[in-house]
Amino acid sequence: MVYDMTPIQWLKHVVFHPIEGYEDMRWKKQGSMPIAIVIVFLLLVAQVVKERMGGFAFNMAAYSDVFNIVPIITQSVIIYLAWVVANWSFCTLLDGEGNMRRIAIYSAYALVPYIVCTVISTIMTYALTLDESIWSSAIYYVGLIWTAVLIVTGMKACHQYSYTKTFVCIALTVVGMILILCMFVLILSLFQQVYVFFYTIYTEIMYRVRS
Amino acid sequence: MTLNIKKALCIMLAAMLTVTMAVTAFADDPYTSYNYNAWKEAVPSQNGYQVTDTITGADIGLDQLSDPDSEFFISEDEPATLSDSKDFFLCESTEEWYIVDTGNNRIIKTDLEFNLLACFKTFTGSSMTTETTLEDGTVEVTEANTLKSPYGIYVDDDGIMYIADRDNQRVIKCNQDCEIITEYTRPDSELYDSVSFYCTKVLVDAAKNVYVICPAVNKGAIMYSASGTFLGYFGANKVEVTAQVVINKMWRKIATESQSATLTKATPVEYANFDIDDQGFIYTVTEAANTTTDAVKKLNPAGENIIARTENGAEIVFGDQTSVTYSGTTYSTRLTDISIGDNGIVNILDYTSGRIFQYDREFNLLFIFGCDQEDQNGGFDNPNAIESYGDKIYVLDGRNNDITVFSETLFGTYVHEAAEMYNEGLYEESLELWQEILKRDGNYNMAYVAIGKALLNQDEYEEAMKYLKAGYDDEDYDKAFEYYRKDLMRNNFTAAVIVIAVLIVLYIVVRMLQKRGKIPDHLWKRLFRLIGKGIKTLANKIVGVFTKNKKGGAVNGL
Repeated sequence: MVYDMTPIQWLKHVVFHPIEGYEDMRWKKQGSMPIAIVIVFLLLVAQVVKERMGGFAFNMAAYSDVFNIVPIITQSVIIYLAWVVANWSFCTLLDGEGNMRRIAIYSAYALVPYIVCTVISTIMTYALTLDESIWSSAIYYVGLIWTAVLIVTGMKACHQYSYTKTFVCIALTVVGMILILCMFVLILSLFQQVYVFFYTIYTEIMYRVRS
Repeated sequence: MTLNIKKALCIMLAAMLTVTMAVTAFADDPYTSYNYNAWKEAVPSQNGYQVTDTITGADIGLDQLSDPDSEFFISEDEPATLSDSKDFFLCESTEEWYIVDTGNNRIIKTDLEFNLLACFKTFTGSSMTTETTLEDGTVEVTEANTLKSPYGIYVDDDGIMYIADRDNQRVIKCNQDCEIITEYTRPDSELYDSVSFYCTKVLVDAAKNVYVICPAVNKGAIMYSASGTFLGYFGANKVEVTAQVVINKMWRKIATESQSATLTKATPVEYANFDIDDQGFIYTVTEAANTTTDAVKKLNPAGENIIARTENGAEIVFGDQTSVTYSGTTYSTRLTDISIGDNGIVNILDYTSGRIFQYDREFNLLFIFGCDQEDQNGGFDNPNAIESYGDKIYVLDGRNNDITVFSETLFGTYVHEAAEMYNEGLYEESLELWQEILKRDGNYNMAYVAIGKALLNQDEYEEAMKYLKAGYDDEDYDKAFEYYRKDLMRNNFTAAVIVIAVLIVLYIVVRMLQKRGKIPDHLWKRLFRLIGKGIKTLANKIVGVFTKNKKGGAVNGL
């Protein structure tokens, strides 16, 4: 095996070698942050495609006039960021060897099968009828499971864990993500209240000044 | 000169005509009609009904009741208006109206045009007694021969009246001469656990079984045989599943008997009103605000709700789709009465908004009309009851004390005809009508679906797909798409096979040549590299041209 590869070739290597790909990449200290960022952006694109495209019988909601990108950003980018932060927080405490950068890159690389399969299955629905919807959903789930496997092996390689510890760590990470998102919502509503408070003071002063 | 005058006259006439036409078109409707699209958003629509008349006590001729010269004379101080009227009934076989004048304790009978025919006030043959305290303190016991706030009425084809005499706690069955035949009173049965029998609505089926609604009883309608024996309950509502109900149910599983006795019991809401159609199905409405379960039910003789069993039946939300909050008050739909018209058309009256929601017999929404602006024609304050006959809808208002008559517009006629054909499965026959409807109202969703189905039947799949898409009917679109795809493949099969065959042959030939060394192994890579090089040189050239130009310009400038 020749490990003299370009970053794109490394990505291909990782995706198609779920078991040893990440170990190789870690050994060779490979993985590119720009590519990871592009992949996360593509995840957002894939989610938009899934929401707003597809055959009429499959996804009638895509043909409505209303479209809001905020929930989709939350479902893709925010979840990814929460995952990275939560994973880093827990694994640093649990003797994980990965740093934030490596976690971000390894997790992003794992998303590639999901992105590709989502787009393919959405495009397939244009040519399928509802009776044959099993084909498109099969492709979608293949992508989902593939990504799940890559996440597990990726985190295992990243932190140099055993499988048991990886699963425990992933479970903890999910709990951490929920905590982070809850705090996020809490802080947002707090700032909202502070903003309203200052705005009220401002209007009150303006009334005094004017009168 | 004369020509000019003629011209001016013509223009004036035309202007006047347009003005009057505009007035006749809009003056009658204090409300804007709307309909719901596939996303359950309100969209403007054409009027299916227009207010044509308002009937008050004076129009009926109720002053004759206090006129000694009249044949209808009852007493000098008989009121000449309706008062808080709760119900009315149209006997379709004789075309006679029976109006329950609740506040004045009488039943008024009129013909179809609301001309007074009779007034029923005293009844003979009652087995019940009432106690009245006289001025000198003695108590006089008399036969209960008058009504005390009657709330509902039903008249069968033989002219036998069934009156829900609410405050006397009885339902009386009497003939046109006011002779009571049977009295239905509080059932003396262990099944009936309510103390009172304040009945409000009454209904009779083809077998002369009597159904009575008591608001205090939530087990369904109380059912009597023709002879007056209590048979049981009919068609109770189900309990709406809320979080509280689920939690209580879980507690009940682990609680002891005495603990569970203290828990609140989940009881269903009783239904407010009902109607029976020609086929003997009983339709009920539940008046509780924002109820999602059993708001409207169609009951078979076993008391089971048929709507819930039909396809999509459980998803239908009757009345307005969302409640509106306006200056602190929330207005949500309260369905108070239901009336089944010709061809099984269902008219539902919303007490809150004063609107009438009309559905066809498959419960597709046809029209929404009426409003609660009580000062205007077609606006209601206390809409209590609705009846339909032919192309007219009648609404009884208990505060305005009048009856409003709605007549079908031309658009309404088209929709009713088309919907009936559509429900019979005559898609192609109804095609022209639906196209006419679309010309008048491009928002009418059902028209797109119907036209799409008709085109699907005529094997015009591509057009059908277009219409079904516009009507947001995904399942029928899928059907059309399946046939369209089949056609596409059948028509282009030969071409596709030829292309695939050519590609395979090409591949084999290239492979063979590669093996013999005629073509280098990485032909494709070389090709790509060649193309890449070409693009690079081209780009360089372009960049070069630009830079040269710049340089040239600079030289010139110097």
